[in-house]
Amino acid sequence: MNVVYQSTYYTLYQSVKERCFYVDFGQKMVRMSLCQLLSLRYKVLSISIEDHFDGDLNRHGFEVLMLCNKEHLFVLNTLEVLDLKQLVDHSFVALGLSEERETASI
Amino acid sequence: MKDIARQSMGIKVESMDLLNGQIKMEAHASATYLAMASWCEQNGFFTSAKFFYKQAEEERGHMMKIFEFLIDTGGNPLSPEVTGINHDYSSIVDVFESTLEHEVAVTKSIHNIVKKARELGDIATERFLDWFVLEQVEEENTIRDILDMIAVTGTEGVGLQMIDNQVANWME
Ligand SMILES: [Fe+2]
Ligand SMILES: [Fe+2]
Repeated sequence: MNVVYQSTYYTLYQSVKERCFYVDFGQKMVRMSLCQLLSLRYKVLSISIEDHFDGDLNRHGFEVLMLCNKEHLFVLNTLEVLDLKQLVDHSFVALGLSEERETASI
Repeated sequence: MKDIARQSMGIKVESMDLLNGQIKMEAHASATYLAMASWCEQNGFFTSAKFFYKQAEEERGHMMKIFEFLIDTGGNPLSPEVTGINHDYSSIVDVFESTLEHEVAVTKSIHNIVKKARELGDIATERFLDWFVLEQVEEENTIRDILDMIAVTGTEGVGLQMIDNQVANWME
């Protein structure tokens, strides 16, 4: 297994033997296909981080993230969301599927 | 590093995002034409209503074409949320003028994706959109012809009913 990209809290691995990816979320390692990785990308990039800085829109500054057809559930704080956005952006560049370096928006 | 990602997906994620945006736009067009069909039915323009039912179906076809392309390339197509459909038109002329506006916006959006795909070196997406580029030329032309016909016929007296009857000429 080799590292595709490592952010402050998370790491994306690629397993050539199993033809899949692993995301290390710290407390849990999640196995993912590329489709599931695309779905993670969509969910993460869809999170409105601006809402975290508005007491009315996101009171507690948390996001609930469900992955892999509801198999995994994560509760992330603002810093973790920002870090996960970084991981997603840089990972797709590293995988050769994205050209951009700045945070993409959906 | 062996390229599992590239083996699973044949286009760039930026293209995928733009194509998902286009799926939304085609779905919006389909819903808008259905709203126009409703307006035509309620205001006695029954031939025009048929024209817009057909347009609505075609736009859904466009949406599915993109959807299937994203599946074929290993992407993640998203079922679109469609909101904000206008049902209010001041006249049949207003309906067709809005249609042309809508089609021009779609053309611009498709050209934009072609340009981005070219920048990204995403040849598959660029070539896939060839069909859409030509389809837009045809669609814009159809609506322009109908607007010309409306201008020639005029909206006085029986003009409106003649306009509606002549719309049949643009429905093969
Ligand atoms: Fe279309
Ligand atoms: Fe169209």
